[in-house]
Amino acid sequence: MSDPVLSVDHLSVDLGGSEILSDVSLTADGGDLVGLVGPNGAGKTTLLRAIRGSLQPTQGRVTVDGNDVSALSARKTGQLVATVPQETRLSFSFSVEEAVAMGRNPHIGRFGTADDEDRQRVDEALDDASLSAFAGRPVTELSGGERQRVLLARAFAQDTPLLLLDEPTANLDINHAINTLDLVRSVVDEGRAAVAAIHDLNLAARYCDRLVLLAGGSVLEAGVPASVLTTETLEAAFDARAVVSHDATTDSPQVTALSERQSADDI
Amino acid sequence: MDVRQRAVGWSIWLAAVLGVSITVSAGIGPVSIHPLAVVKVLLNALSVPTGIELTGSSIGNALQLPAPELRWQSPFSYTVDTTYETIVMRVRLPRILLAAVVGFALAAAGTVMQGFFRNPMADPSIIGVSSGAAAGAVAFLVVPVAIPFGLGLQGAAFIGALLAAFGVYAIATEGGRTPIATLLLAGVAIQAFLGAVIAFLQLHSGDGLRQVVHWLMGHLGNAGWDDVTVTLLTVPLLFGILLAYARDLNVLLLGEEAAHGLGVEVERTKRILLAVSAVLTAAAVAVSGVIGFVGLIVPHMVRLVVGPDHRVLLPAAALAGASFLVLTDTVARAGATEIPVGIVTAALGAPFFLYLLRSREVHEL
Repeated sequence: MSDPVLSVDHLSVDLGGSEILSDVSLTADGGDLVGLVGPNGAGKTTLLRAIRGSLQPTQGRVTVDGNDVSALSARKTGQLVATVPQETRLSFSFSVEEAVAMGRNPHIGRFGTADDEDRQRVDEALDDASLSAFAGRPVTELSGGERQRVLLARAFAQDTPLLLLDEPTANLDINHAINTLDLVRSVVDEGRAAVAAIHDLNLAARYCDRLVLLAGGSVLEAGVPASVLTTETLEAAFDARAVVSHDATTDSPQVTALSERQSADDI
Repeated sequence: MDVRQRAVGWSIWLAAVLGVSITVSAGIGPVSIHPLAVVKVLLNALSVPTGIELTGSSIGNALQLPAPELRWQSPFSYTVDTTYETIVMRVRLPRILLAAVVGFALAAAGTVMQGFFRNPMADPSIIGVSSGAAAGAVAFLVVPVAIPFGLGLQGAAFIGALLAAFGVYAIATEGGRTPIATLLLAGVAIQAFLGAVIAFLQLHSGDGLRQVVHWLMGHLGNAGWDDVTVTLLTVPLLFGILLAYARDLNVLLLGEEAAHGLGVEVERTKRILLAVSAVLTAAAVAVSGVIGFVGLIVPHMVRLVVGPDHRVLLPAAALAGASFLVLTDTVARAGATEIPVGIVTAALGAPFFLYLLRSREVHEL
């Protein structure tokens, strides 16, 4: 069996002298959508930054397609890993097409210009994200959901084996959140690997093949959603009491957090 | 439309505007010359290589290599008044071409700095280049020390500019990283400090005060063909480097971490952009003094027209800057008494900039 697309191997990261991630391991293969869940400050964003080589690990390593990312040039990293950020500066009046075409930057040499393949990838990405009708619009005039689709399309156009998503649905309403994750699911099903930090446990459970539950910088539990999301793990990670049921509509685990005054017996 | 087509289209159009500006400007002055006569003078001065000639014989002497030499020919020989020819070629054209190159350099550096700092108030002097040049020039004029290596006023200004820029960069850099906010603040602080130095030197400049003030206001009056040749050789080369980084500059607008994710070596790109812009600005300021507003407003004006893509914006802004300075310098020298061009650019530029500020939403780049 060949190497997985992404392999995070006993990774530790220090930021400003304190350990943010400690001995984290995970893998993702083509067709896998791995969800990172956990409380605020658990290290989800830091893990994503380390995976794309923005942070140097103190221990362990990250390989993408067999390449150690900490040793790669920005250009090579950009050919392997695409990131959909939580928010980005899209305040400049670039058109949607220009913004998406920036995803091709790692594939174009210093003195080169976009060739037919680049243009084709951009067109496909615009089409996948249902943005073709907006191609000429300035990004500054888009709604939040449309802007999120531009960022997705940019990452699709980058055409990398690994896709990272940092809270892709955090600022979206329920309809846009579902559409966004449907879109991610469809490109993953075409063969890419994806790791997504997702706050909403129910969305994470519904869309991800596997979940990694982070707490305090370490992996508390990893596996299929039903095995990761249990009353015990949620208590340990979030310090919250929750009931996990099975939602028949989506055929996935359903987490309901309880308030201090409730107990599981009341429900 | 394709980016390259747009860039070429705008460049051709603005180069034509520049050509017209130069021709019109060369006709304006104490002696008024009809534009057609100017065109004839310019065409007469034109010489084109018509072929390669091999000089030196290779027969009979095996060691002697034939030296290729370009054969030049002037294709045009119109009859024009020789007085006109002297005025245009000796007096006006060096100054006009210098204005064009300086405007080109300042607008290009300003465009890059605004993108680099993601700040609409950035201009070429933001990292202390202009203050450094001014301090160097004023020190040369006031302090009675002989400068080694036969460096004149312009050499002193050029070196002062580069020292200031390097100082700002060194102060703002820690552990191989140069945060943009630190760079901006270090630039402001160094400018303030050099302002104090310049003011102190001015106080003690005695008879040289007039010359100092004249230099500080920005001027193109002493232009000779030497200045033009030097800047014409350096500026296009430096501009070429900036143009090669135009796509990276676009991606940098998204923020440094996003740019890294999109394949840009962020710190290296920043160093190159800073260094090239600093040298470009220093070359301009050294020959012309501190000319404000060209590097600030021209990029804004052009960005509003052609959009934010630096592959189009950079050449368009540079060419527009060239025309802008040619025309403002024409105004500066057209009156009964000449005014320093720095006054004209600021006097025309500031109101126009305020108009833009009020009429467009210039909250973002």
